[in-house]
Amino acid sequence: MENRSIIQRSIARPEFGPFVLLVAELAVFWGLNHDFLSPQNISNILAFTVELGLIALAMTLLMTSGEFDLSVGSLFGFSPVLMWTLFNSGLTSLEAGFVLALLVAAFIGLVNGWFVTRLKIPSFLVTLGMLLVVRGTALFVTNGFPQRTWSAEGSWLAEALVGDFFIGPFRIYMSLFWFIAAAIALGYVLTQSRTGNWIQAAGGNPSAARARGVNVSGVKIGLFILSSVMASLAGIISSLRTSAANPNSGTGYELEVIAMVVIGGTALTGGRGTIIGTVLGILILRVMRNGIVLIGVPGLAYNIFIGAIILGMMALHSWLERRHQTGT
Amino acid sequence: MAEPLVRMKNIRKSYGRVQALVDTNFHVNEREIVGLLGDNGAGKSTLIKVLSGAVPLTSGDIFIRGKKVDFRSTSDAIAHGIETIYQDSALVTQLSIARNLFLGREPIKPPRFLNRMDQEAMNVVARDLLKQVGISKNIPPTTPIGSLSGGERQAVAIARAMHFDSDLIILDEPTNNLGVAETQGVLSFVRSARDSGHSCIFIAHNIHHVFQVVDRIVVMRRGKVVADDIDPKNTSVAEVERIITGMSDEEIHEAIVQGKQSQG
Repeated sequence: MENRSIIQRSIARPEFGPFVLLVAELAVFWGLNHDFLSPQNISNILAFTVELGLIALAMTLLMTSGEFDLSVGSLFGFSPVLMWTLFNSGLTSLEAGFVLALLVAAFIGLVNGWFVTRLKIPSFLVTLGMLLVVRGTALFVTNGFPQRTWSAEGSWLAEALVGDFFIGPFRIYMSLFWFIAAAIALGYVLTQSRTGNWIQAAGGNPSAARARGVNVSGVKIGLFILSSVMASLAGIISSLRTSAANPNSGTGYELEVIAMVVIGGTALTGGRGTIIGTVLGILILRVMRNGIVLIGVPGLAYNIFIGAIILGMMALHSWLERRHQTGT
Repeated sequence: MAEPLVRMKNIRKSYGRVQALVDTNFHVNEREIVGLLGDNGAGKSTLIKVLSGAVPLTSGDIFIRGKKVDFRSTSDAIAHGIETIYQDSALVTQLSIARNLFLGREPIKPPRFLNRMDQEAMNVVARDLLKQVGISKNIPPTTPIGSLSGGERQAVAIARAMHFDSDLIILDEPTNNLGVAETQGVLSFVRSARDSGHSCIFIAHNIHHVFQVVDRIVVMRRGKVVADDIDPKNTSVAEVERIITGMSDEEIHEAIVQGKQSQG
């Protein structure tokens, strides 16, 4: 088993399937429309991809620990609304509004985690309830109207989060670097750190982990907080970039993010997760959305392709899993 | 006589109105393998759960080397050197052998950036331990538990208990669902655990397995210890069976005859 070649080992990795799919996708779209790989289009894809991606990275760790969070989409809409409302009403500076919005998000994550670990309610129900509470609050506070956002121009916070510049012909937003930093940090935590071992154990066999003195509830609560804060950060970044704070934005993102994570090879039931796979999953779905429009497929048909990819990848993962179990 | 390693005195445990343990007294000496026998519902599992901190006792005292202890959780019991190995349930199947061995006690490598684990050290120790518990096949320590056989999993769990210097290793039905060779493997781990200074409580339905390894047999019936000093060298399997069922030969014979009559 130790003598298997590098090729065999990389094929056995759970990230191999998503990687092949992404390469195939890029090849097909580029073959049908050479503009697909133009600098402008690549810049377009990246701008929004990293915003959803930030949520997907946190969701990967949360799902590895055996839970998931449906309230991320509504936090994506709520946090910028909260920040702008505080700022526009003159209550706080933009920076203080930003920090407050993240703190509120952390508190929401804490409440999610508390319901799941202390009251033992499945995360599906807890975060579904939280989704409605948060979205409802965003709508109520704003009366359903978007908030004024244009006064962010020139603020250092906006520059640090979404300042843009050109590398050659590519327009790059600062958010790309935040995404890369988050991917490296969370990938490191999951695979190299003691915390990562606990996260996987909490999802794989919580009673065994608890019996070894691992604080399973603490790990899960921490990850719920991380997930909420990342969703909030993503929403604020998106709002600064597009100069819009709409209480309805982020609707349905929770399912797209969960799809990205499972396509990448993280188990919905917990115990196994991969950040590299999630990065691939994020790219697969965003490239697909961009590519099918570019090659002339009606945008409304997008969901058909996404659904087919999810089903196909799940079939592949379960087949690989079974082969792996019997083959050793 | 020297103070035993573990002494449980007048233990009572009731679930509502059901008395699972009634004034049970039980002890394990240093370097001793005790076989705990009894029919289903005799109270073996409850006694073990109390001793491993999984369930609180209703009344009674537990002493370790003469000191009174109070277990609120399984981690309390582990901290006092009592390790319980349940069939299959003690390991995380998705994690590798090395990661399971050190779960909750991962060594940290300096510089302490985000609590980085010392994976090299973990693998070296794991490889060494696997050899000690008699896994001769060349299994890399990075193999996930999910792809090991039942006996190999037991071996990993026992290796973990031995490595972390547990004084008392409790094995709950360790030979269930195992093949003949694997069972012999587990029994030999138990012997080697004693040779390296650990005590064991061995619970099994298969009396023959128990007879092969234990120094002393304790029998429970209806929440009570009914015999606690049976020497397996001077006692036959049939005698122990009689104590477990609590019936004499004639009573067993009558029960069988009655059973046949009611069937016919």
